[in-house]
Amino acid sequence: MIGLEGLRELFYLLSESYKVIAPTLRDGLLVYDHVKDFESLALGYKNVEGPALYAVEKASNGYFTYTHPANSPKAFLHPPELRLMKVRRSDGALSFEMERVEKKYCFFDVRACDLSAIKILDRVFLEKNSHPDPYYKSLRERAFIVAVNCTYRTSTCFCNTMGTGPEVKGGFDLLITELEDSFLLEVGSERGEKMVSLLEKKERTEERHFEEKERKLKYLKDSIEEFFDREGLAQRLYGKMDSSHWEHIEKRCLACTSCTQVCPTCFCFDIVERNSLESDCSERIRLWDSCFSPSFATVHRFNLRQSIHSRYRQWLMHKFAYWVDQFDSFGCVGCGRCITWCPAGIDIRQEVRRLAYG
Amino acid sequence: MVENPYRLKASRIIRVIKECEGVYTFYIATEEEAQFGQYNMLYAFGRGEAPITIASKGEGYLVHTVRAVGDVTRYIDSLREGDLLYWRGPYGNRWSLEEAYGKTLLILSGGLGLAATRWVFEEAMKRPIKRLIHLYGSKDYDSLLYKYLYEEWSSKADLRAIIGTSHPQWKGKTGIITDLLRKLDIEKDSLVFICGPDPMVKACVSLLKEKGIEENRIYASLERHMKCSVGTCGHCMIGPYFVCKDGPIFRYDLIKEYFERKEV
Repeated sequence: MIGLEGLRELFYLLSESYKVIAPTLRDGLLVYDHVKDFESLALGYKNVEGPALYAVEKASNGYFTYTHPANSPKAFLHPPELRLMKVRRSDGALSFEMERVEKKYCFFDVRACDLSAIKILDRVFLEKNSHPDPYYKSLRERAFIVAVNCTYRTSTCFCNTMGTGPEVKGGFDLLITELEDSFLLEVGSERGEKMVSLLEKKERTEERHFEEKERKLKYLKDSIEEFFDREGLAQRLYGKMDSSHWEHIEKRCLACTSCTQVCPTCFCFDIVERNSLESDCSERIRLWDSCFSPSFATVHRFNLRQSIHSRYRQWLMHKFAYWVDQFDSFGCVGCGRCITWCPAGIDIRQEVRRLAYG
Repeated sequence: MVENPYRLKASRIIRVIKECEGVYTFYIATEEEAQFGQYNMLYAFGRGEAPITIASKGEGYLVHTVRAVGDVTRYIDSLREGDLLYWRGPYGNRWSLEEAYGKTLLILSGGLGLAATRWVFEEAMKRPIKRLIHLYGSKDYDSLLYKYLYEEWSSKADLRAIIGTSHPQWKGKTGIITDLLRKLDIEKDSLVFICGPDPMVKACVSLLKEKGIEENRIYASLERHMKCSVGTCGHCMIGPYFVCKDGPIFRYDLIKEYFERKEV
């Protein structure tokens, strides 16, 4: 158990060995960014979210009073832009310098939904991939994760529907739960244990602290509505591929790609060449891509998914059906970011419910 | 330390054959293992990569046939004997040739699709296949690939080609591949391999079904947009499958649901 001073000490201890990525305020948004000072953390603020609606406000009391930042750990583990290699040309022959990514990140404050998203990306890039991705692997293995249990929710949260939250279960180095007058600190790994042993400002945890945690989590969990049943959902959706509802969604969807950018699990990327003016060096760059892009499924200069409804279908079917066949999990963790950041306010919970159970 | 799947290797081009305008066949020196049906990613400096099927393999070399349609393939087609070709692979699955042992194997190739069936066709000539038939459709005489091999192939298998428009040097039929297929007498338990444009695959499957061949006896090699080739970039998805790693060859009954539906 630690107090606010213990939390500050932990933050600076982590900063000594890691580049700390934590929620902070930037341009009126709560975002994950490199945070150097404890004072720059977004503690005491809360995010207010709804379909196509976002605001940050000062919370009335408490510290971890928000849910999650607008971006996700994906932005660091699978960066929007990553150089894969540098290619140099000399005398007609090429030489390759493969990029090494060796940043040591500490994600300070990861919520249950985003922790599940990291586990899903682990499957995509490493565990269920016969060619494990060395860039993701390098960043992931070095990353230290401080998870935090949510004690607040926004109107777009649906982690309990997806079975990913609100309670953090495994996959962390340290876990923090904010209580009335302290922070409950739990250890999830040897690295976490070691970090706590270095901590001076800590107190013994008593049974009542765990009881308070349980109470808080139960209260939160009971307050979140269940939107649909996960059991058999993929099969139901496979039966709805010709539904006229897709065209109904097309009337609202702008194919702007916002949802795929903010999604903590959307992994699709493009590989592009960046050439120097001297034409002796070319870099191969991995860039986030989106199945909503008009050229995503282009074969011989023709995109196989011409209509926007077919692109939306690809996205939703991938998240809730194809993904299950590919990676043994859903591709959605119920963070609700795609609902908040959809300029048209399309609410994926409602669309899934209408399609599968309507 | 995991192997970097994007690492490229260099191979010397040891032979170049001009097939027709804008289509060249490259023999590259390599000891790399590969299987019929697989493909490689060929790289062009500053331009990118393109997935190209392995058209054949011999002692110490692999064969690729490349049509200049984009920046990458146009560059590759400018290469000549002695030049280096940079590539990675092989990727994807192989034709299920063993299933045809003791039976009839029918291969259907459309246009450049012949590059994807050539190796398995050559291999099938050496295997215990009861009857080997290859129907090949091409848009015109000039687009025919591998003309220099037809004589040898015809001596070992039943090869029938058809072209879209007549030509003074062409003694064979004109029309489209389905004209040949429609007239073909074939056993219901035959195995079929198809590679060609999507509409050709669909039309052929429909005729094969009329002849009593079930969809689980038909395999098709599909072409989709690929960037990573290792099942991570998402571009080549068709339903729950990644064409780059689960394919490019699919048993038709497994892919049908997604292949036949529009815009999947």
